[in-house]
Amino acid sequence: MKTMKKTGKQYNKINLRAYGALMRSGIMETLQFRASAIVMLFGNIVYLVVIYNLWKAIYASVDTPVVNGMTFNDTMIYLVLASAQFTFMEARLVWLMGWSIQDGDIVVQLLRPISYEMYNLFYIIGQNMCSFVATFIPTFIIVEIVTHGAIPIGVNILYYLIAVLIGSLINFAVDFFVGTICLYTQSIWGINIMKEILVTFLSGATVPLAFFPETLHKIVMFLPFHAIYNTPLTLLIHDDLPIEQIADMILTQFVWLVIVLVIAKVFWRASERVITVNGG
Amino acid sequence: MPGEIVGYLGPNGAGKSTTIKMMTGVLEPTSGEIIVNGKVPYKNREANAQNIGVVFGQRTQLWWALPLVESFKILKDIYRISDKDYKDMLELYDSLIDIGDLYSKPIRQMSLGQRTLSDILAAFLHNPSVVFLDEPTIGLDVSMKAKIRNFISSLNQEKNTTVILTTHDMGDVDALCKRIIIIDKGTMLYDDDIENLRQFFGAYRTLKVNLNRRNTEVTEKMRTEQLSMVKKILSAQFVNIPFTYDTEEDWVSILIDESRIPLMKVLSYLQEQTTIYDVRLEEISTESVIKKIYENNEKDRKAI
Amino acid sequence: MKKLKFYIKIYFKILSQDIKSRMSYRSDFVISMIGMIFTNAAELAAFYIMFLNFPSVCGWTYYEMLFLYGFSLVALTPMQCLFENNWNLGGYVRRGDFIKYCFRPLNLFFYYFSEIFDIKGLGQLAMGIGTLVYTWHKLQLPVSPLILLELVIALVSASLFFIAIMNFAAGASFYLINTGFLIGTMSKFRDYAKYPVTIYSKGFRFLFTFIIPIAFIAYYPSLVIVRPDEISILTWLAPVFGIFFFYMSYKFWMYGARKYSGTGS
Repeated sequence: MKTMKKTGKQYNKINLRAYGALMRSGIMETLQFRASAIVMLFGNIVYLVVIYNLWKAIYASVDTPVVNGMTFNDTMIYLVLASAQFTFMEARLVWLMGWSIQDGDIVVQLLRPISYEMYNLFYIIGQNMCSFVATFIPTFIIVEIVTHGAIPIGVNILYYLIAVLIGSLINFAVDFFVGTICLYTQSIWGINIMKEILVTFLSGATVPLAFFPETLHKIVMFLPFHAIYNTPLTLLIHDDLPIEQIADMILTQFVWLVIVLVIAKVFWRASERVITVNGG
Repeated sequence: MPGEIVGYLGPNGAGKSTTIKMMTGVLEPTSGEIIVNGKVPYKNREANAQNIGVVFGQRTQLWWALPLVESFKILKDIYRISDKDYKDMLELYDSLIDIGDLYSKPIRQMSLGQRTLSDILAAFLHNPSVVFLDEPTIGLDVSMKAKIRNFISSLNQEKNTTVILTTHDMGDVDALCKRIIIIDKGTMLYDDDIENLRQFFGAYRTLKVNLNRRNTEVTEKMRTEQLSMVKKILSAQFVNIPFTYDTEEDWVSILIDESRIPLMKVLSYLQEQTTIYDVRLEEISTESVIKKIYENNEKDRKAI
Repeated sequence: MKKLKFYIKIYFKILSQDIKSRMSYRSDFVISMIGMIFTNAAELAAFYIMFLNFPSVCGWTYYEMLFLYGFSLVALTPMQCLFENNWNLGGYVRRGDFIKYCFRPLNLFFYYFSEIFDIKGLGQLAMGIGTLVYTWHKLQLPVSPLILLELVIALVSASLFFIAIMNFAAGASFYLINTGFLIGTMSKFRDYAKYPVTIYSKGFRFLFTFIIPIAFIAYYPSLVIVRPDEISILTWLAPVFGIFFFYMSYKFWMYGARKYSGTGS
């Protein structure tokens, strides 16, 4: 019994180093594409301008400056940051999994001394961190300059970082779940686009959830997706939320994280057999 | 000569694929002029393509998802092959090789060997006057290699198609080519009949010695040590006579020009100096001939 | 003329074979189709939600905006269906596989794009036509042979613009390495095509008209139908510009292809 425990601990220690290495490889690989980061940033800036013009025109068509509790600034900041957050979270995990399933590389990955989930998780975390710095932070700074400091800077940043971390993990679990579906179909594109649309639309990345009609809003709140975009962004933009509400939001996020992780894991465990049956 | 199979050899980066690209009209020569079938390929790429077939080993040009026969039907239209010629060609294929079950198989489900074979079939389908084969047997097992070589050779005989073959596999050369061209760094080193080449180097023979007791395990380190020892012994005794050394498994091989020194003399001297457990004598292989040509070229280059 | 007939014959031959082989993977086809419909349905929903909160955008009503959207969907279809292989170009170039297209007695550009017909684009076409018909009815636009002819010309020239943009973005991979992200970014621009260009400030109006001409994908050509009394000179020039721009992109693509296939291994 005692020895068993000991080896288990040792195993963990080795794994920690392996996780570090995986994260580094994710970072290094992303750094290889500096030009792509610059173009993505440029893309975000153009998006910022488009959104700015579009919503300015939209708000110009009504007499009140506040619609559904959102001012023009709120809406614009929300959408631009949502897009920036999408850019750094969109790690193409579904594609990576789909490709490795289709060309049989997945068998090699399963033979590694690290579980497949963890292998992907740490690789993606590395990539996410990298593009967070490369695209989200510059976009954030630009928005802050353009709006003359409309985003409050204080403890809300901390809340945002916590919420965005949990949001990324939920996103990972959703991606992993959808990636697992690729074991059953060849159509990575179709699977991925459906996921992307569902996540971005129902999480409020395309249109802020505040604008959703009542019933739809209620339905969306019963789904995990709003925890990926809406929760972190709301915490970032508003610094006047009561602490109970903040705690409630993060707790809800956490509960969702646990639920999606369990579902993704169970689905993966059940599906792993497909690989052994098909021989990869 | 029309109807020849020409081996086009050279080390990696020698300019083989560049030459093929120029001959197929993909690339414009920076200087000089190339004429294929009386046309300048670069200026008439599309017209030129009608008279050539190209196979790049490991890179199929067929439609990935389609069964082979459907690819053939498309090619029939692209190359405007008449119904009769098409039928005749398929009959010829059937008489040469057993591929009945290959026709209905999509390319993506084929093994590499089947895929290469399919590409070769497709390259000959429109009965071109020249077919370029770029490393057609790369990565294939022995039986598939033999099958493909036989097939190329019989097609060449049946249709009198000129075949230009680049390869690193001397087996291909020995089995197929009557004439070879060797290039390195863009310059032609040799262009002649392969028999002449062998005769020219006929005075060469390979002496192989094994300095290890039977059943001893020979490490990489021992190998290099033995090689340098043999080199040292021979170069001290036979000054000014060039030998080419190599190791092969447990053997040290010495390529000897017998017009300059009898092989037996070398062997007996070596035996005086060290213990030899086993000896083999071999005629020069095409591979060694080509290696020799590269080496001479290197030496000339250095001498300049 | 004979040549054209020959090319059309080849194209349909490859197309029919390709569709046949794809149909043998029916579930993939169904999933892709649903994915396509999903994409467009979500965009429509976003439109709908926006107009629940706001009555108009820059003087453009809900149905007018919807018309622009439907128009852009139809205009984007030819790129989606016929030029889909642009997306794979970067990969072929990077792996050195592009050379395999260079040995046929056919025009390289034609042969490369004939390889793939993206059938799911037809789902988009259906959605687009549906939206156009619906808004046409709601806006009580007149129907006459002349207007329909204008519509077709407008749609064709709009398509040419988008294909040309994507040809440039994909063709860049012949000249520079690692430009795969370029095509992704450019294709994102098409999302902005569905808004009237008048919402933008001067600088961006210029950018979207003359540099990355997405304003020609829906706004300028569709003015003929929706707002005949606001037609800009650019609307009349759209077909000419479209052909010219497409021709330039063809030349850019072909020149790059010839240049590249010589150097790449």
